Amino acid sequence: MKNFGWRQWLIVLAFVLVVLFTGILAMRTVRRAAYWHNHKDEPIRPWMSIGYIAHSYRVPPYVLTEALGLPPKPDRRPIREIAREQNRSVDEVIAILENAIVHVRPPYPPPGPPPLRQNQGQTQGRSP
Amino acid sequence: MSLSDQVLAALLLYGLPVLFGVILICSVGIPFPVSLMLVAAGSFVQQGDMKLWQVIVVASVAAIAGDQVAYCLARWGGRRLIGRVSRSIGVEAQIKQAEALTRRWSGAGIFLSRWLVTALGPWVNVTSGIAGYPWRSFLLWDVLGEVLWVVLYVTLGYVFSDRVQAMAEILGNLAWVVAGLIVALILGWKLKGYVLQRPDNTL
Repeated sequence: MKNFGWRQWLIVLAFVLVVLFTGILAMRTVRRAAYWHNHKDEPIRPWMSIGYIAHSYRVPPYVLTEALGLPPKPDRRPIREIAREQNRSVDEVIAILENAIVHVRPPYPPPGPPPLRQNQGQTQGRSP
Repeated sequence: MSLSDQVLAALLLYGLPVLFGVILICSVGIPFPVSLMLVAAGSFVQQGDMKLWQVIVVASVAAIAGDQVAYCLARWGGRRLIGRVSRSIGVEAQIKQAEALTRRWSGAGIFLSRWLVTALGPWVNVTSGIAGYPWRSFLLWDVLGEVLWVVLYVTLGYVFSDRVQAMAEILGNLAWVVAGLIVALILGWKLKGYVLQRPDNTL
């Protein structure tokens, strides 16, 4: 060890730093994976579509379209676009959706049957 | 709105052209949330919004094309520049040594940096080009690695289709863990060499 020059000590330092960084990151990754193993609801983000949110939260899509006053048909647009169209902020739309989701889950009674389709040619989307 | 929100919103609205464009510019080294986009594409496939074969073909072709552009730029632009600079500052021998090392390890390096240590991808494209690694071999490893990357990430998105953001975050962390492990191994190997050079010294 006495013969270690500054170069060797620099490598020791780099080694320790890399091992520390990797260890911390590995622990964080395992913690996140364990968390998402038990949790299913992702925070709603502006890019998500009604269909994706319904899929992620396991609620029927018509519950969400209804809450936003949209016709009950598949809508691929990100909620950012819906917010723009309705002159609302994205946060406001997210709050409406979260509220609708809470109200179809226990302890609230399950949602009723989907509303009648106005256009019979179009499909309702996936049910839960 | 964050960059990843913008990219995913565009992917939902415009589909495959966005997938192609974003992956292409990522291969050249511009940091975009490309893993998240691939995982999201897998989720959209699961929900019937996109077609599996289209996503796989478009994403693979974009990734491979982007890598070739980066390789060619480095090979025919960067190589000349490095040659001129290294001659003028007199480090030609070291550059030659680095090139030999890159040529020897590039096959594994190219393949692994496509799907396992994706953060190193753009860097490996450039070093392979500068080192003059044969183009045919580069293309072969690149195709194998990129197709594996696309299939792996899209499949994960398909399986965890309701947790796209969480999945992409975990994958991103995991990629850095793997990169850290590889660097730690290389440094550890070097240290072992120093210690073993002096058997009279005990650690």
